[in-house]
Amino acid sequence: MIEKTNSNIIENALSDNESVIEIKNVFKSFGENQVLRDFSFNLKQGENVVVLGKSGSGKSVLIKCIIGLIKPDSGTIKVFGQNIPDLNREELDKIRVKVGFLFQSNALYDSMTVRENLEFPLRRHSIKTTKEQEYSLIVEALTNVGLADTIDKMPSELSGGMKKRIALARTLILKPDIILYDEPTTGLDPITGKEISNLMNELAKKYNTSAIIISHDLNCVKIVAQKIVMLIDGKCYAQGTYDELKNSTDLKIRHFFE
Amino acid sequence: MKSSVLQSFLSETGDIARFTGRFFVEVFKPRYEFVELLRQCFFIGYKSLPLVAITAFIMGLVITIQSRPTLVEFGAEAWLPKMVSVSLVREIAPVITALICAGKIGSGIGAELGSMKVTEQIDAMDVSGTNPYKFLVVTRVMATTFMIPILAVLADAISLYGGYLGTNIRGVCSWDLYWNQVFDTLTYGDVIPSIAKTFLFGFAIGIIGCYKGFYSNKGTEGVGQSANSAVVISSLLVFILDLLAVQITDLLNLT
Repeated sequence: MIEKTNSNIIENALSDNESVIEIKNVFKSFGENQVLRDFSFNLKQGENVVVLGKSGSGKSVLIKCIIGLIKPDSGTIKVFGQNIPDLNREELDKIRVKVGFLFQSNALYDSMTVRENLEFPLRRHSIKTTKEQEYSLIVEALTNVGLADTIDKMPSELSGGMKKRIALARTLILKPDIILYDEPTTGLDPITGKEISNLMNELAKKYNTSAIIISHDLNCVKIVAQKIVMLIDGKCYAQGTYDELKNSTDLKIRHFFE
Repeated sequence: MKSSVLQSFLSETGDIARFTGRFFVEVFKPRYEFVELLRQCFFIGYKSLPLVAITAFIMGLVITIQSRPTLVEFGAEAWLPKMVSVSLVREIAPVITALICAGKIGSGIGAELGSMKVTEQIDAMDVSGTNPYKFLVVTRVMATTFMIPILAVLADAISLYGGYLGTNIRGVCSWDLYWNQVFDTLTYGDVIPSIAKTFLFGFAIGIIGCYKGFYSNKGTEGVGQSANSAVVISSLLVFILDLLAVQITDLLNLT
């Protein structure tokens, strides 16, 4: 059944102890453009939630607020019980070890090899590993995405799908509890997009991660979404499963599935 | 129209001032990025050396050849090494070095950071436990601040060698006589202020390149604009700082 967001639902959700991310009454605007208006939502442990909305509706802003790259104007964003906007850099870095972020443009460092790209978060987060442990973590992450043979390649030598997989490997190397995906299949052909979507599901099962996935790609949404949140007019307009929302009588919701 | 141009100029000046202020806050705070600083020193200093060396050599040679006829007219040809050395060391070598670096390094930093910004690599660093300002900006600005004076000193030496060859094209001046005349002429008041101002040139080139790249607009067009405006503004700043440095040196009677 589709849950229309109202204050009771929010209260119930936030009192739920299983929630790993709790977003309450978040507002964010850029100049006169109000992107998020009283957005509230929570993510439970082990859940894969897709946030669906039009381009420019604030989906990427939302997950950047969760990871602390953008500060909301007001509201609370609690990740593992800690309010992200209140944290200083050191506290934020500790949270970021547990929360992976897959960027829309992959964000692989052009000047580094695949190995150095994967080493970067390990070294920068000051995770104490020996050289051998570091190497085995890199190989494990690359094997998980099926690209162990690219370890010494530069990102410019890789195809779009391979770059996405390497970016996913870099996100996974810290074994995060939550992964935030920003349009993971955008710019990929339907077959590669499906492969990436299946890979996301496999890795979620293997590492027992929770995920928020921003996507327009309905094929990807159908594969990965356990729940869908509709972000319309800056609010959590509705939430439900793929089939529930697809069969909705609300035109604003149906519009996305036609 | 005029007020909006003035407003955007003042607004950008304020933003650059804030960006510069942040540098002085971040530079003293740990964690210190020594490895990245050394890497940047290598790229900024060593990789710019051939271009700076060739330009300095040609400038030394050309200035000497161009100055000769005037001195010959006054029967003061023997003063050629003295005159050329003062011009080169006090003004031409430091400013030419700074301008070459503004073009090569300023545009490089602007384009590199701009493309990193556009492709979300700066955000990726942020979520990977790295302060991008410290890792990208502080290291580059420190590298330009320390490498450009070294390049300027090398440019001084190479341009003076060019001057020696230029002197001997139409006249005859022995190696020993040339260098004796050069070192007899040059005083600490010539050398130290000219090196001191290159630290300012280096700082300006680094901070403007980083500012333009760090706040690049989205898209590849924005990257091009960042690189372009980094060169234009840092070149202009080199001349403004040179003017100020010369005035201060003059006021302090260091000339």
